[in-house]
Amino acid sequence: MSTRTETGRPAAEAAAPSRGLAWLYVIAGGIGLLASGALTLEKIARLRDPDYIPTCSFNPVLSCGSVMDSSQAAVLGFPNPLLGIGGFAVVVTTGVAMLAGFRPPRWYRAGMVAGSTVAVVFIHWLIASSLYDIGALCPYCMVVWAVTIPIFWYSALDAWPALAPLRRVHSAILALWYVVIIALVVQRFWSYWTSLV
Amino acid sequence: MPTQSPRRRSPLDGPRRPSINVILTSVVVVLALVVFGTILLFGGDDDNGTTAAAPSETLVPEDAHTLSEADPDGPQVTLVEFLDYQCSACAAYYRNITSKIEKDYAGRITFVPRNFPLDIHPLAPLAARAAEAAGKQDKFAEMYTKLYQNWTDWAVQGESLRSDPKEAARQFERYAREIGLDVAQFRADIEAADVSKKVQRDMADGEKLGVEATPTFFINGKRFEPSGETFADVERQLRAELDKALG
Repeated sequence: MSTRTETGRPAAEAAAPSRGLAWLYVIAGGIGLLASGALTLEKIARLRDPDYIPTCSFNPVLSCGSVMDSSQAAVLGFPNPLLGIGGFAVVVTTGVAMLAGFRPPRWYRAGMVAGSTVAVVFIHWLIASSLYDIGALCPYCMVVWAVTIPIFWYSALDAWPALAPLRRVHSAILALWYVVIIALVVQRFWSYWTSLV
Repeated sequence: MPTQSPRRRSPLDGPRRPSINVILTSVVVVLALVVFGTILLFGGDDDNGTTAAAPSETLVPEDAHTLSEADPDGPQVTLVEFLDYQCSACAAYYRNITSKIEKDYAGRITFVPRNFPLDIHPLAPLAARAAEAAGKQDKFAEMYTKLYQNWTDWAVQGESLRSDPKEAARQFERYAREIGLDVAQFRADIEAADVSKKVQRDMADGEKLGVEATPTFFINGKRFEPSGETFADVERQLRAELDKALG
């Protein structure tokens, strides 16, 4: 492992960004970007032709259509996936820049935490809407749920010293987080899942 | 080994030694798999029990409307659909599947649509009452067809659901006129207590039968579980089950 010694600089500033976090930003952000893009294209196809059945609508449970048609799908007055295209593009760009040697200063990392906090709160509201209000699951949306959580979690661990003790069990917490959401999804659509077994 | 490099360590960089994190993560994942797997495989049993056959009065009350009646001398096959007139999945089922089933199996099966308007569809209860109100003048099937064939006119506007009951009521009155109803009577019936009681009764029955989403079908009391990926697949599956029941 090559160590670039940069003596004389304060530790906090000299610290090179974690490559793991950079790769997470590139991969998870890229997946989120693709899913948001796919949802936007489906939305456009549906606007053009109201009879269009989205490619991700398989049955009443797995149905992008019912989710896309809900009022929660355009909270700010325009389709949510546009937020995703904007947000995930920033995440990917940050990841690539970090791989290229960019060392995000404190304020930048705080910004990533702030942005991803808004995103993670938003997707949990969307999860609740999807499960308990709309009563359908949209596969592309679930991809977005799945990538937003680790982006938030590792941004927070990276930038927030108070969370330092949790670094020791970082992926256990992430796994627990996923398990809780999966359990809620399984419970809510119980009769559907049992029909597949 | 060189002393700590200036590179900041993140949890994602991986542990230096097998850590408590790896152990805990594995425990969470394995436990979750075991619990979900066990419940799905063994807990599924009592669920099968409830889907085996539903009580007939709950499925098809005496005053239920039908789109088609089975020949009394032939095999008695009943297809019940719990539906929501404003739901896009139901409208898509109508366009792709049930309108064809209705035609192709006319006189061979008893096809019973039941109301299950969901909270998320603002005009669904009104549409359900419109169909029931038409039913009081023996034109239930005609109104059912009108509602689905004109779904894009009254139920949605571009990509969003319509929600203005006054505008919808005007449209429904137009349909009532077109199918030859006494419109004044229709207008009164749509607000009548017995009509809304009937819609509520349908919903209560649906809940008793474990209906959670629309459309939900029952063939001779057994819940139909669509497993296909496309409407064509589901249609084939539904036809296969109907044909099997017809013998």
